[in-house]
Amino acid sequence: MFRVCNVSDIKENSLNKFTIEKKDILVGNRDGKLFACDNSCPHRGASLHKGIYKGNNVVCYMHGYEFDVLTGKLTNMKSWKKSDTWIEQNPAWRESGNLIMYEIEIKQNEVYVKIPPNQ
Amino acid sequence: MTTDYKEKIGELVGIEVIVKNGIDVEKLRKLLLAGVGAEFFTYYYYTILRMHCTGRDGEGIKEIVEDARIEDRNHFEAMVPRLYEIGGALPRDVRQFADLAGCPDAFLPNDWENVEEILKVLLEAERCAIRSWGEVCDYTATKDHRTYGIAQAIMQEEIEHEAWFVELLSKRPSGHFRRSYVGQSPHTKGHGGLQHLS
Ligand code: FES
Ligand SMILES: [Fe+2]
Ligand SMILES: [Fe+2]
Repeated sequence: MFRVCNVSDIKENSLNKFTIEKKDILVGNRDGKLFACDNSCPHRGASLHKGIYKGNNVVCYMHGYEFDVLTGKLTNMKSWKKSDTWIEQNPAWRESGNLIMYEIEIKQNEVYVKIPPNQ
Repeated sequence: MTTDYKEKIGELVGIEVIVKNGIDVEKLRKLLLAGVGAEFFTYYYYTILRMHCTGRDGEGIKEIVEDARIEDRNHFEAMVPRLYEIGGALPRDVRQFADLAGCPDAFLPNDWENVEEILKVLLEAERCAIRSWGEVCDYTATKDHRTYGIAQAIMQEEIEHEAWFVELLSKRPSGHFRRSYVGQSPHTKGHGGLQHLS
């Protein structure tokens, strides 16, 4: 378990980037629920802390994919099409995994995350 | 050449220094591969888009599309050598390269006869390029000076490209006049394989 910050550093409905062991992680608070995951978008590696919330999803600012921050699941693969006359992207290009979630623990008002050594 | 070079020359100091600064080299390779892939395919799709810039309206934007097209190819040339320096490589199969590109394919829209639709696709592509090189700049700033220098130069031109297309789609006042020659790349020309421009 790695210590990240104090609980009070994670404001409600914020997305925060921390670098732990050379790895950028995202620690957020969605409506009072804390979560931690890899800060790289599983699609093409954009920094998720630059995104915004939409419901329980974080919306990646790069191509607009949405991931549920509590489950890590990819919930919406936004289309690049701005109008009906545009052609959709190839499925292989669109493909994306889910968020890499990290276990989070609060001890004495401090936030700890568990990052498996192989990640 | 075999790959046992390590015994002869030891670890590459050029990589060692960025690792010591906190760069995850594998992550950087992925970001650069996505970035150069976006440039390579943008060049390809802009070729098609440019071919469809005809008629009075189309001819009016053709030269600007061409500047952006050649400069995006220059961006590929400028960054690919850096990808290899840090131990990365282009995929052997171009299909795989396309699937890993950092930005959507700038497909010709079905209603391309309306030049505005072509401009919207071009604008979308430039915006993705700005975000994608912005990621590389943010990740390497103060940690990997060499990659940062190249990405930052590319970023300057992407921001100009976005402005060109915004100005064609709107009446936004602008300081842009024209490049001295097609594909001048005033910011990236000193990098990578672009010696012919400097
Ligand atoms: S990098 Fe996040 S949606 Fe593509
Ligand atoms: Fe470019
Ligand atoms: Fe561009």
